[in-house]
Amino acid sequence: MWGSLIPETVRDARELASVKRIEINYRGIFQKQLAKKIANYVVYVAHSEGKVAFSNGRYSDSPERNGVPCKYFTFVSSDLTEGQLEAVCGSKMDIESADVSVVLDDTMVKGVEPWAWHGIRPVNEKIGPGGKMIVVTTKSRGELVRFLGRKPFAYDLALLEGEASFSGLWVFKDDSTDVRVLGAIARADPGLVSIKAVEAYTRSAFKGEKAKAARLAHDSLLMHRVEPSEGIDWPHAPPRLPSWKEMREGLVVPAVSRAYAKGPRGQSRSTTYLRGTTKSARPVVRFDLCTKCTLCWLECPDECFDPTTDGLFDVNYDYCTGCGKCAQVCPVEGCIVMVDELRFDNNDSPWERYKIAPEDYVGWAKKSAGGDYVLHNVVTGTGVRRVKVPEGKGKRS
Amino acid sequence: MTQKALGAAYEAEELLTGCQAVSHAVRLADVDVIAAYPIRPYTEVMDTISKLIADGKFDAEYIIADSEHSQFEIAKHASAVGARSFAGSSGTGWMYAMEALAVTATDRLPVVALVGNRALDDPGAFGVEHNDALSVRDLGWLLVWAATAQEALDTTLIAYRVAEDPKVMMPCAVAMDGAFLTHSQHMVRLPSKSSVKKFLPPYSMGNRRLHPDNPISIAPQVNEDWVMEIRRQQFEAMSASEKVIKEAYQEYNGIFGTEYDNPFLECYKTEDAATVLVGMGTVVQPAKMAVDQLRAEGKKVGFARVVWFRPFPAEDLRRELASASSVGVVDRDVSFGSPDLGGVLFNDVRAALYPAKRRPTISGFIAGLGGREISIDDCVKMFAETSEYAKRGVGSVSWIGVRE
Repeated sequence: MWGSLIPETVRDARELASVKRIEINYRGIFQKQLAKKIANYVVYVAHSEGKVAFSNGRYSDSPERNGVPCKYFTFVSSDLTEGQLEAVCGSKMDIESADVSVVLDDTMVKGVEPWAWHGIRPVNEKIGPGGKMIVVTTKSRGELVRFLGRKPFAYDLALLEGEASFSGLWVFKDDSTDVRVLGAIARADPGLVSIKAVEAYTRSAFKGEKAKAARLAHDSLLMHRVEPSEGIDWPHAPPRLPSWKEMREGLVVPAVSRAYAKGPRGQSRSTTYLRGTTKSARPVVRFDLCTKCTLCWLECPDECFDPTTDGLFDVNYDYCTGCGKCAQVCPVEGCIVMVDELRFDNNDSPWERYKIAPEDYVGWAKKSAGGDYVLHNVVTGTGVRRVKVPEGKGKRS
Repeated sequence: MTQKALGAAYEAEELLTGCQAVSHAVRLADVDVIAAYPIRPYTEVMDTISKLIADGKFDAEYIIADSEHSQFEIAKHASAVGARSFAGSSGTGWMYAMEALAVTATDRLPVVALVGNRALDDPGAFGVEHNDALSVRDLGWLLVWAATAQEALDTTLIAYRVAEDPKVMMPCAVAMDGAFLTHSQHMVRLPSKSSVKKFLPPYSMGNRRLHPDNPISIAPQVNEDWVMEIRRQQFEAMSASEKVIKEAYQEYNGIFGTEYDNPFLECYKTEDAATVLVGMGTVVQPAKMAVDQLRAEGKKVGFARVVWFRPFPAEDLRRELASASSVGVVDRDVSFGSPDLGGVLFNDVRAALYPAKRRPTISGFIAGLGGREISIDDCVKMFAETSEYAKRGVGSVSWIGVRE
């Protein structure tokens, strides 16, 4: 009965395939301005083509939190009115399906958990059949697909060559990633915005190299088909949210029981609040260089370090946000270094690995941590290129 | 006429102000933590409690806060760790505590608070106006108005019983007309501690008690994924409170020999009344006199005092005012810009009576603001205007006793 009361135009609007949805997965605060700019450029370009569009940052992500996976959306339609598009796409916390999904930091392929109650979700979760996923990365297709969740249908993975652009807190780092992604979007889905309109926009809005960067990115984008057989069975189920009758009253949730023992995982921690998907890099500890000064354990804002029976400090990576503070306070050069999150397959205890086979571990750590890699300074957003650390050259050694 | 004998449930009879009566209720309820910060007319409560403690008549943690905001935060936290707690305030002091008041309700902590109603500054004024206490009406606070010193004492004890009931677990504000009830002195019967113990079980937070041995977090940040369920729980608790309040009064009557028939609505000669005034607080006294005077002239009038504002006695009003063809609502508050520019009580009563089988006409009166007297003559005038509603029409709200 109520169905018949819904105006035909509204029902038509819901069924129209003309609405295009873009989601931009970004890391909280360091990429917030970047994601917003990309989302807004698409609106401007679509508008210049006579389409109706709007953008919307998902505020429930609390995108001011360092590194937290967040989303920005842009919705574009060629035949809906502003009000109809708002009715279909506005006031929503998530979308059912994305035509284009942008990933601004490739480490998010390991999963995203914007909010504790969402659970760890695959970053490609919202990509629809034939949808496009654009990842800013220096990695190969295979290095990314090995982490992605399997989809029941094929979709396209587009690789935009580049390091993740991380700005300092609240500010924007103008390294042309914004316009490069805009160019990539035009390539991935020309029905959304045309490269012609994108070029017209960037040439009017920007000068110099930046005015041309969108076209260059458009032309250099590497497109790969991902088949339904590829990817992993996603190991994390979304949490089941209880009804109001099941919930404890007075906003009471279980907390952490008091328990403490030396050894890996010796300290009791909340099983509800993990911070795993927040990090782009994780600390690798050279236990052989450690002077047992305790600074990492004391200074870690998330209490990730576990004192061990031999006076070292194990890392519980489930709780590590990748902030890098331990690496900054560690007085021994090369003892704690931040390493690209995509080099790790699990969150196992590094101390246990070290105790079982010290030489193997140190060898691996040297290779992993001692190599050429970029540490994203969380305060300035400046990428610091670290070079190989000569063995035994700690500041205090 | 001989003095009425004190029942066995009482230990003494003393001449007390409303503030002092509440203070004795706090003593009798064996409250553990009192958070205090002065503002008139509430101040006499903290004065009295501190003297009871100093005199060795009462043992409690008495914490003087640096502001009302801290004061109510202290009471809230004390309640969370399992201490029966009390705080009170007036006027803008109550408003300054607003953030703490809001979270106390959402965290479902059964703090009992006294609000000595005071006009909101500016201008600085000490007289009664109900806008201060009414500001928590949508937050999940139980809200009750006492009209006599005895009732203030009884209501405070009942407030603890209701607030701490496991089905309710909500804070309760006991309001009384500042400067009038807070400071006028009447003979008050003081229950004995042993009889109060029979009525009021020990405070227990059960498995919600915040303690290292019971590891819980209270009020983590949530989003759209939890808020509705939390509000739904508050809604359920407020719905359940009605029955708990009724049972508490019945038991109180049984132990203390009091005669609180309908705890929600005090009805005076409303059974066959064609014209009924509705109000809250001390206006009940001149209103009753006006009823008697008009009844003597053969006019069928009555008065209904809303005692519990939250939960609001909508069903009781529909039942008790069934015979009334015209109803007038006396507001000791004003809600600027509200429907038909009336008071808060006016619009709640109108909403309650809208589904009535025979819908009466409803007039609103703004009266007694800032402690201005509402006289018997004023009440007679309001009865007259209420019955002449037809002459004035829909949405008629008049100001009583204002200089024109």
